[in-house]
Amino acid sequence: MAGRDYLGEFEHIVVLALLRLEERAYGVTVRQEIELRTHREVSIGAVYATLDRLETKGYVKSYRGEPTPERGGRSKRFFRVTAKGVAAVNRTQRALQSMSEGLGLIENYS
Amino acid sequence: MTSPSFSLQPPHLAVRLVNLFTVPDNAEAIMGDLLEEFSQIADRAGVVFARQWYWRQALKTIVHLIYTAYRAAPWSTSAGVVGGFLTRRLLGRLVEPTIFAVLDRYQIPEHHFNMYVFFASTGIDIGYLLVFLFVGCIAALAAKEREMSAAMTLSLIFAAMAGTAAVSWVATGHYWILWRLTWNFADSFAILIGGAIVRTHRSATRLSGSRLNT
Repeated sequence: MAGRDYLGEFEHIVVLALLRLEERAYGVTVRQEIELRTHREVSIGAVYATLDRLETKGYVKSYRGEPTPERGGRSKRFFRVTAKGVAAVNRTQRALQSMSEGLGLIENYS
Repeated sequence: MTSPSFSLQPPHLAVRLVNLFTVPDNAEAIMGDLLEEFSQIADRAGVVFARQWYWRQALKTIVHLIYTAYRAAPWSTSAGVVGGFLTRRLLGRLVEPTIFAVLDRYQIPEHHFNMYVFFASTGIDIGYLLVFLFVGCIAALAAKEREMSAAMTLSLIFAAMAGTAAVSWVATGHYWILWRLTWNFADSFAILIGGAIVRTHRSATRLSGSRLNT
């Protein structure tokens, strides 16, 4: 099912973080956003490994920012979601919604 | 105004380790992100907590980078591991004959008996150590940009083999051989050093190349 793939769990979380952060999405903010909202500690290595995979699939694009002193003169790598990435996240959301529809998860299993 | 935490540096060893394991394309962004967040945490929660955080991030990141090396570049990383393993098999056989040939060639047993004893025992171990250093270099060269992932895998394989051998020594009551584990683990460490040498050399070459271009 090439081009019709669903996002993996962490890929889904990372793409949603990018969509939330918009123009401010780079390693630090993405990692912090995920930690803030999921309450799970995430390594920067895991974030970049997922972002690289998403970029290979064409779901995100990256570009370099300007070097800054608080980063020891190193530049940031910003990310943004492509149209293909938005389609993939929508497809995944719809599939999840469809699978959970009618289950009454909160009432029955909490 | 510059924040006071700009002058604070994260743990040097952790920085070096992350730098060694990161692929060159991501190195600048990852190192910069870690330093930026380290400074933020140091301001908010103190240097000790920030250093602990950095170490935790560094170790998790390294584990993740080794794992993802096999997903992102399975062939070159595996080639590094297999190449290193075959190099060890090939060169390992030559260590003892080479050392004894050199000792005989210079008539060491006849003229310098103490030196002969040293080279026939510790010298062989040092010979193996050098072979493992070379094995680490070969693994790193074959693994292209994921030098340390291949070297670390190979190092863990040989450490596991040594650990298995140690269990069998204990099971058969040969406790006196256990001291050999020191050399066995040193061999595994030598593979990592070999990988680090190649990676450091490549990084330096890349850096000087990019400076020439700018």
